[in-house]
Amino acid sequence: MRSVMQQPFKTAVLILVWGWLLFLVLAPNLLVVGASVMTRDPVSFLSLPLNLDAYGQLFDPLYLEVFLHSLYMAGMTTLVCLLIGYPFAWALSRVGRQRQLILIFLLIVPFWTNSLVRTYALKLILATNGLLNSALMSVGLIDEPLQLLYTEGAVIIGLVYLLLPFMILPLYSVFEDLKQEILLASHDLGAGRLSTFVHVIVPLTLPGVLAGVMLVLLPAMGLFFVPDILGGSRNLLVGNVIKNQFLDARNWPFGAAASIVLTVTMALLIFAHRLSKQRIGEEGA
Amino acid sequence: MKKLALAGMLAVGLTGCSSEEPQVLNLYNWSEYMPQEVLDRFTEETGVQVVYTTYDSNEAMYARLKLLDDSAAYDLAVPSTYYVSKMRQEGLLLPIDRSKIEGFDNLDPELVNLDIDPENKFSVPYLWGTTGLAVDASDIEGEPVTAWEDLWDDRFDGRVMLTNDMREVFHVGLRVLGYSGNSTNPDEIEAAYEKLSELMPSVRTFNSDAPRMPYLEGETDVGMIWNGEAVMAKDTMASLDYVYPEEGIIAWLDSFVIPKNAKNPEAAHQFISFVLQPEISALISEEIGYATPNLAARALLPDEVANNRASYPNATDMINAEFQTDIGDDALQVYAKYWEMLKSGR
Amino acid sequence: MTQWLPRTYLTLIYILLYVPVVVLVVFSFNESRTGYAWGGLSLRWYEALFNNRAMVNAIWNSLWLALSAATVSTVIGALTALALHRYRFRGKKLLNGMLFVVMMSPEIVLAISLLALFLLVGLQLGYVSLLLAHVTFCLPFVVITVLARLSGFDDSLPEAARDLGASDFTMTRTVLIPVIMPALLAGWLLGFTLSLDDVVVSTFVSGPSYEILPLRIYSMVRVGLKPEVNALGALLLVFSLVMLMLSQWILIRSKR
Repeated sequence: MRSVMQQPFKTAVLILVWGWLLFLVLAPNLLVVGASVMTRDPVSFLSLPLNLDAYGQLFDPLYLEVFLHSLYMAGMTTLVCLLIGYPFAWALSRVGRQRQLILIFLLIVPFWTNSLVRTYALKLILATNGLLNSALMSVGLIDEPLQLLYTEGAVIIGLVYLLLPFMILPLYSVFEDLKQEILLASHDLGAGRLSTFVHVIVPLTLPGVLAGVMLVLLPAMGLFFVPDILGGSRNLLVGNVIKNQFLDARNWPFGAAASIVLTVTMALLIFAHRLSKQRIGEEGA
Repeated sequence: MKKLALAGMLAVGLTGCSSEEPQVLNLYNWSEYMPQEVLDRFTEETGVQVVYTTYDSNEAMYARLKLLDDSAAYDLAVPSTYYVSKMRQEGLLLPIDRSKIEGFDNLDPELVNLDIDPENKFSVPYLWGTTGLAVDASDIEGEPVTAWEDLWDDRFDGRVMLTNDMREVFHVGLRVLGYSGNSTNPDEIEAAYEKLSELMPSVRTFNSDAPRMPYLEGETDVGMIWNGEAVMAKDTMASLDYVYPEEGIIAWLDSFVIPKNAKNPEAAHQFISFVLQPEISALISEEIGYATPNLAARALLPDEVANNRASYPNATDMINAEFQTDIGDDALQVYAKYWEMLKSGR
Repeated sequence: MTQWLPRTYLTLIYILLYVPVVVLVVFSFNESRTGYAWGGLSLRWYEALFNNRAMVNAIWNSLWLALSAATVSTVIGALTALALHRYRFRGKKLLNGMLFVVMMSPEIVLAISLLALFLLVGLQLGYVSLLLAHVTFCLPFVVITVLARLSGFDDSLPEAARDLGASDFTMTRTVLIPVIMPALLAGWLLGFTLSLDDVVVSTFVSGPSYEILPLRIYSMVRVGLKPEVNALGALLLVFSLVMLMLSQWILIRSKR
């Protein structure tokens, strides 16, 4: 009690933030967990008895296919982001300091622009009568327009476009931290370039890679508006399934269970990230 | 303290919207299903602002209405036939006070007092229409397209569009197999799913926000479309034909209903009366291409609209036509499952 | 070592990143209605945009929502960051962890959980529900921005102030707030942008009584190619560019 009197400010702040997090983060998430073990009710959304049917439904081979396909597209998105982002971050870390600031600024400008509008802009480019097809046809590379819009590829392109900065920034920060001398040391000891890359650079940048994967993979499973706009309402993501269950089919237990799958994926990724950081820490010590 | 913080938040919220607001009618309707001019004229005449929010399927409309149940979000909605009976039976609707409605007698006797709502205690017909085939004549070579079955033709690989509407798409599948489009038999629904999944490789996209757009944008050349959308598309794309398929078109009637927690049922009644004016009903039918059930309005239509077979089918067009009916929640769940499989299938 | 390869690569990726944005801006001045072909220079879509009452209404609603969400999350976030930086208390790690989880959570997970909560407590979906939701997802970003600023700050100053008899509150007001001001502004701007851009969470927790811009755009782009969207996108681009430059300017100036 005395300590409360001594530090009214501290107490007030802690109550405020804890209150906020408990009421608007913890409680709602517990509700979702609760909903996932209840039974679908056509009238009141949810009813008793408690059961695990919704989770069983996740493993229904038919839904499993939906999930695997969504996971595949999210995975491809992440992979493409990594393949583009890794050399990009490396190249970025090698330019001069002043120029680096400008380049990073340029990288986040699109990120600050409305993501729906940018997704829509991609539609202008990818459409059958769109700019890319017109350009390719006018230089004579193709005779017939390619079907680009409303494909799996269009969804992946859209996701990569929206999420690339989230892969690049954490990678860039680990490349910045990579000490030049480690590279030199490894080089001096006679390690070849490839060997330097495999044995020194890759492990040291692993936390950055995992952070990037985390920042890309999770949204790539949830951004339901990308398949809506670029995927022709096909090529669904887990996010679309969840949205449909809540706002269309009214199967809340299943929607909740699907969202818990996302949460668990997130937990695993965070865990892997922690682990990789720890290992680097130990090796450094 | 937590409560205090929340109270503080709420206070901030209240100041945010405390300004004196004019009367508002929250209209929840299909996208592109009401000309802006009608809304403007209503506001001009009554001073009531119309907030027009859209949905692209009955399921979405129904789910959202249930979701916002107690918060009295919408004053007027426009469900299709089978959802009128469903919502009526579940007690989600306010009875319509006929004494506040003018012009009800103008409605086509064949489209009132239907099974979905005997005596029209809860609903007033707005528009009726059909879902048929859209064919871009300039891009289709070979045999003319005359039946739903033709969509399965190899030559349309990657050029087919379906509406993003579970019931309609399955209706097509069921009809092609010779079943009723309102089937509740799980085996028939599954068979329709099997049949439709053969079509899936050809399907480019699903669209119920504006089913004409994929045709206009050149993404698809053949598939499903609503008649009104086909009429609207004709202005910019003369080659897009509306075809009545041999297996029969899908017919539907959309009606105004007032959700039970509507905040402004008074304005809702006002709006229904406003739309029932022959002149306004005629304007709507002319602008968006669907058929008005208002006989007095039909008399006012210019000939090219009244004789447009896409908007107003003749008796032969309606052979085999089937109205959508309520199939119950159990069957809906079966449909919903196959629907998701279908849309995510390869 | 050779420099041209990395440079070419960087340039290429930047071009790819900017093509859609440039296309959008260019086409916003396109006279033609059909989205793809060029039909001459025109401002008609900007005009159409501002003549659309519902659209203008949604823009104001969104700006007001972003303004209030950014402000509330900056206040709570800054206080949280101060507490995390200065005090030892039980559950500190847990608090940190929870903020991290909120930041990492896919938006859709946050969205449905908040929807469930609002329905359970019977909160009408509208401005208040949107505000609560937006503050929640902005909060961790503000906390991190402010914490980063605080960690680079010499702790001896508050110590000295305390030795001179300043209370916690006075000390925070007179010493710490000025120091973290740039971070507060940056955090506020970030929150503002996040709120203005959000589609996923808003789809679930908004009601017809408070229509906001992202959802309006969403219903427009779902209908098909609409030149008004280009005009709106170009305006939003300019707007966010100004915001971003402002925040960078604040950060750079504060580092001097």
